[in-house]
Amino acid sequence: MPHQRHLATINLHHVPGRTGLDNNALQLGFLTIQQDQQGYSGGYLVTNAWGRPLEFRVTTSVVPNKVQQLLYGPTLRPYICSDLLGKVLVEKAGAQVQLVVTDCDAALELRNQVQHPVAWLAPMDHSLFHEWEATLIAKAKSYALLAHPKFPDDVEAIKTLLQQTEVSDLAEPFGRVREALIEARKMGALKAA
Amino acid sequence: MSDWNDHPLFRPVRLSSQAETTAAPRNLLAKKTTTQEPLLVPDVQTLELDLGCFAIEIPALASWLEPCVRTAQLKLTPPSVRSIVGSNKLQFDVQVEGWKFLSPGQSAAVPALPTLNSQLSTVPPTLEELLTPKTVKPTRQKPPADLVMMKERLLTLLQPPLENLFHGKKIELPFKPFPYQMEGIAFLMPRHGALLADEMGLGKTMQAILSLRLLLHAGEVRRALIVCPKPLVPNWLNELKLWAPDVPVEVIAGDGLARKVAWTASKSPVKLVNYELLTRDADFALDGNVQFDLVILDEAQRIKNEGNKTAEVARSLNRERSWALTGTPIENRPADLINIWAFVQPGEIPHDTPINELAHRTRDGILRRVKEEVMKDLPEKIIQDVYLELTPGQQEAYELAEKEGIIHLNDLGETITVQHVFELIMRLKQICNFDQRTGQSSKLDQLTSDMAEVAESGRKAIIFSQWVEPLEVLAQHLKEFGPLLYHGKVPHSQRQNVLGEFKSNPNKHVILMSYGTGSVGLNLQFANYVFLFDRWWNPAVEDQAINRAHRIGQKSTVFVKRFITENTIECRICEVLEHKRRLFEEIIAQNGQPVSLGLTEKEIFALFSLSHKSRKAAA
Repeated sequence: MPHQRHLATINLHHVPGRTGLDNNALQLGFLTIQQDQQGYSGGYLVTNAWGRPLEFRVTTSVVPNKVQQLLYGPTLRPYICSDLLGKVLVEKAGAQVQLVVTDCDAALELRNQVQHPVAWLAPMDHSLFHEWEATLIAKAKSYALLAHPKFPDDVEAIKTLLQQTEVSDLAEPFGRVREALIEARKMGALKAA
Repeated sequence: MSDWNDHPLFRPVRLSSQAETTAAPRNLLAKKTTTQEPLLVPDVQTLELDLGCFAIEIPALASWLEPCVRTAQLKLTPPSVRSIVGSNKLQFDVQVEGWKFLSPGQSAAVPALPTLNSQLSTVPPTLEELLTPKTVKPTRQKPPADLVMMKERLLTLLQPPLENLFHGKKIELPFKPFPYQMEGIAFLMPRHGALLADEMGLGKTMQAILSLRLLLHAGEVRRALIVCPKPLVPNWLNELKLWAPDVPVEVIAGDGLARKVAWTASKSPVKLVNYELLTRDADFALDGNVQFDLVILDEAQRIKNEGNKTAEVARSLNRERSWALTGTPIENRPADLINIWAFVQPGEIPHDTPINELAHRTRDGILRRVKEEVMKDLPEKIIQDVYLELTPGQQEAYELAEKEGIIHLNDLGETITVQHVFELIMRLKQICNFDQRTGQSSKLDQLTSDMAEVAESGRKAIIFSQWVEPLEVLAQHLKEFGPLLYHGKVPHSQRQNVLGEFKSNPNKHVILMSYGTGSVGLNLQFANYVFLFDRWWNPAVEDQAINRAHRIGQKSTVFVKRFITENTIECRICEVLEHKRRLFEEIIAQNGQPVSLGLTEKEIFALFSLSHKSRKAAA
């Protein structure tokens, strides 16, 4: 048999397309804000429906000074996490998403800045969890998923979107983002402003 | 306006005694002011006073009063305002850096991969499942040390765990890979140059196929070439069909024109060719228009020799990624690895690299695991050295041959070469198998007895020999056990059928194989007995042979019997090889520099107590 095709049933010229492999209709954003000795820094990963990376953005570190801390008071953290870092990351990203998931409670305020839903992946023992239970999307043993209290309609919208995803674990991408943040910092992409 | 009476200039003046003027007038005035009653005139004496009245001009009043105005600075001093700059600024500065990655759908000219719709699950995870972290530690890709582009390093780090891809049902698998196999895939995928050196039987082929499949799906590889030994082409096709049924494969074969078309015009994403045809088709394969994103060399020890034509062609292929698969990256000497590395990472390791640097410089690109390390539940492998006495006929023939041979070698004097010694060794080894004059064989006697046991228990056995001839003789003597032959003289077109019959026919209890043909790449894990009728020169090749049966999928203990005739050349070779095997295992375990596993020239001469120096002098 001089020429042997492994799969006789497959004709390369008649394959309609990469159906099943190109399900890029749904794109998810995973936003994390890290706070450490170097200040606040943000990482934002856009993936397709099954978790493949499409875009990744990081911010420089933001270190609030004493005056800023005094003047912003308790609004400092939500301001930095959502209005400053979260907003700039989402706006600068070229890839548009239908849903942003964040593991940072303060970044949930980003919902006020964007048109699409934002969901907070909250540890079950988080103190704010009970306050915002009205917009609970789902909960399991380790995590709960909540929408912004001012946007109760997001609950159903997020449920619908998540039914289309093939990501098997919503917490997993944040591990990737954190590792990539460390790598980017190691390679000099992130320096304090 | 104030009362005129109060004005000091117009206050009425009343002259009275001293006493009267002290307090009373003030009181009276006060009363008048408040009550408007007539003044009560006290009883006083009037004194005439000549009070002349005159007026004097007061110059000051004759002219207009001109007020003297003094300005007073009422504006307060401006407060001290300190601008908040520098470290006290109120605004936050933030900058964003970003990277966009090519999505599979955006990859240009990606060959279309058919979808196995029937196998794809469409059941999405429940919300609770999405919120439940997986208990199995995810297998993640790590960027290799030589990857310097930040974008590529990040892309590697940001890839989802392999388990996600498989659990996501995008890539259906017939069986769940072992964790070490997932690690092997995570090792291969991000590397442009890699050597997977797992011990035989751990599934190098499968790991390479799944890695290739994932890269094809990700659009990172569009054209791949797999090169393997000719006998293993059917095996690769079977493995591809099993682990990558959605990947079209084209085997490069046929006449020259057909092969040219396959090399230059075919759009198949994966092409499979054997080493012999790769060498013969060098002109096609090295055509500037023939480019591959990935070339996989199976049994890469085939390119261990630098000047080898096959090695030259393999190293010259136009390619982006180079993966080599072999369980024995060092068969004889460290240069084997250096030459394989010339394909894996061209130019990275010079030929004069000191041995002690070799392990260090290849560390990031080699992955080697042994069964004891990763397959704790793989059935045991029991190796037994069976020492046999020669039959009288064999003994007589052996002694005569050895005596004559040594005399002959001594007579050669300084003209002796290693080839002369080899000839004697081969002759003696053949007598250890069979005495051609009488047909006697102590090994055959033992083997017949063992095979009866194997057949009775319904098991299957593999017998290996260095030569084809004794295999054919054995087949005659083992007819009752349904022997099958698999060696270099068996046409390629029949070999797959032979293996198929051995697997499926319960009456075929034994397959007789030559080391050269049957020791690599075959999956015979349904056999439980392996007999090494004679010993190969290199224990690595023997291991390859044994591992046809002792590999993934084996359910029972594998019994290996190595036949060694006592007080013969086999005994002496065995001792040398065992010593070297122990040395190799120690070094591999310490990840140190490897040594030769086979016999050196010096060791061959020493088998007959011949001096290596004499040979050198002759040379």
